[in-house]
Amino acid sequence: MMDKTEETVDINAMLNMGLKFYGDLWGRMTDQWATFLGQGQTEKKTANGTFPKAQGAMNAALKNWQTLATAMAAPESVSSLLKGSGAMPDVLIKMAQTSVGSFLELQQSLFQRLGRVGESVKAYEFQDMEENIFRLWTDIYEKEFRQFFNVPQLGLLREYQEKTYQTMDKFNLFQANLAEFVRMLGLPFNHSSQVMQDKLTRLAENGELSEDVQAYYRMWIKVLEGHYMTLFQTPEYVEVLARTVNSLSDFHAARDAVFEDMLYLLPVARKTDMDDISRDLYELKKRLRKLEKESRHS
Amino acid sequence: MSQVKIPVDLILSKVVEESEKVQSRAKKASEVLLGELDTELAKTEYDVVYQEDRVKLKHYRPKTKIRYKTPLIVVYALINRETMLDLQPGRSVVERFLDAGIDLYMIDWGYPTHKDRFLGFDDHINGYMDNAIDFIRDQNKVDKVNLMGICMGGTFSVIYSALHPEKIKNLVTTVTPTNFDTKKGLLHVWMKHVDVDRVVDTFGNLPADVMNFGFLLLNPARLMIDKYVGFMENVDDKQFVENFVRMDKWIFDSPDLPGEVFREFVKNCYQGNLLLKNKLEVGGRRVDLKQLTMPLLNIYGKYDHLVPPEACEKLIDHVGSTDKKNICLDTGHIGIYVSSKYQKAFAPEIADWLKERDALEKNESPPKKAAPARKAVAAKAASPKKKVVAKSAKTAATSKPKPKPSPAQDPSETTPS
Repeated sequence: MMDKTEETVDINAMLNMGLKFYGDLWGRMTDQWATFLGQGQTEKKTANGTFPKAQGAMNAALKNWQTLATAMAAPESVSSLLKGSGAMPDVLIKMAQTSVGSFLELQQSLFQRLGRVGESVKAYEFQDMEENIFRLWTDIYEKEFRQFFNVPQLGLLREYQEKTYQTMDKFNLFQANLAEFVRMLGLPFNHSSQVMQDKLTRLAENGELSEDVQAYYRMWIKVLEGHYMTLFQTPEYVEVLARTVNSLSDFHAARDAVFEDMLYLLPVARKTDMDDISRDLYELKKRLRKLEKESRHS
Repeated sequence: MSQVKIPVDLILSKVVEESEKVQSRAKKASEVLLGELDTELAKTEYDVVYQEDRVKLKHYRPKTKIRYKTPLIVVYALINRETMLDLQPGRSVVERFLDAGIDLYMIDWGYPTHKDRFLGFDDHINGYMDNAIDFIRDQNKVDKVNLMGICMGGTFSVIYSALHPEKIKNLVTTVTPTNFDTKKGLLHVWMKHVDVDRVVDTFGNLPADVMNFGFLLLNPARLMIDKYVGFMENVDDKQFVENFVRMDKWIFDSPDLPGEVFREFVKNCYQGNLLLKNKLEVGGRRVDLKQLTMPLLNIYGKYDHLVPPEACEKLIDHVGSTDKKNICLDTGHIGIYVSSKYQKAFAPEIADWLKERDALEKNESPPKKAAPARKAVAAKAASPKKKVVAKSAKTAATSKPKPKPSPAQDPSETTPS
């Protein structure tokens, strides 16, 4: 039989480890937030040198969380948390030990992954966040999240679960690519607005502003068209377009695979069945026509 | 800095004036939109004289005496429908050909379904097209027919004429892509990067909506915004609305594209440019353009953003014909067929060119039609439901972009100099 003191020490150590990890995590996030603010956002300080309200609140919240997590990790806090646990039956303590241990490990893994999200974000520079946000999200998704959908499934329903997860994964990828594509399609609107502003300023300075409202529309549509034509020829657009089409195809294929499984339970033909029949029909017709032609010419 | 003078009073008074106009337009528009509109397409009478699977061969009822020795068969693309050649009375290529005395046939490719996904170039060219042409030859007791191809149908016609030169007397290609090694048209740029295997293996046939969305993306400013602004500005004009709706109906009346055709078109043409290299194989036979020896008339649009001149004009340098001619019209891809102005130049140009090579002598009579010797479907007349008075159509109602310089405009060009 294990010594109770030893058990308490084990749990103590585990809790200590977990709470210390939380403390470190909040510390890291505070640092990253500060770095972020230091990199691109310093100009957003108010005139008296303080951060605006929202930023200040965020700083304060992060610091509070870090303080709380550090305080919780102190040995006396852990002991106080465990106060009375000695009264539990051994088996419950053992169960709790295992559960808490597993939970903490999972939590650690998840938070480490989330911590890496911050690292991925850093690589893109927040100054360009508006430009890169969707590419950024796709990268983060591909590097950090999609592995969850590839966790091996087991048992009788393994194949079905795998297909379902694949569909979710492909859907997420398609959505991410589509969002990037749509953002790109919106760019000419932003650029044409800027060009229009410049044009109007110049016209106003020269006293050449037209009183015909439609003239401005015609001017804008022409500028917009020009921007679209330029965008559509860029390698970036072509690449995003191809990626979006490919991810749509992948999602479509994954979704079809799930529907095929569902339809298999019903008395209806599936897409693959129809493909097989179509192919057979196609080949039979082709052979028949060939024979028909040959017999006509002979 | 000098004070900028903005004529706010003038602008505001103009806005008020405009809003009054809009109000009166809205009143008239409700009358137009709630009233009876004639938006039917393809009213010229025809008979379906031959049918194989989904593919039909239309024969237009002659309106006048036939003045040509050889019938003409028109092969449209598998994208969109051949009804574009017969939008409405007074604005119809079909009508103009009939008025010129041409005995006119046209292939209607129909709407491919799931079972058509495996049909490729060979099935369409050496199968459906060849059978339809054989039917016309049998029916008219002629050895050869005149062939006119449009867009992808033109590419099919070029391939057919090189593989079966003994059956074609004269070839007319219009807005036909044959040189795919160019970066001028956006389709040529985009198609080089499409993973066509992935798309076809997944979708089977290429869905029409996906294709249409792609076409709208070729010029969203005009096709998704300006087109409808134009509609709103003329919504009180009944004739404009009728033309607009008719054109809009045609544009979005798109069949799916058979998967294997799409795969071959992208891989062998857009990505491989095999046709002009004489390396394309169809049905196990190599397409040698030097075998294309009949007279060739090649027409294309200067402002065509789908099939730019660079994609069309090289054909005549590669064929075996000695009688060949390029004609470049100052219009776009669709404008050639639907704009009243260019229709007047385009259809008679073809009719005259054919006449020089194929007109009946004064005392000669056209070939007598034999009773259909092969599988033919009972003739079905497409009778118009109501008569319309042909009015001069407003070309602004066409929803494809107006003729404009190159699509590769630099935005800086649009800023004032």
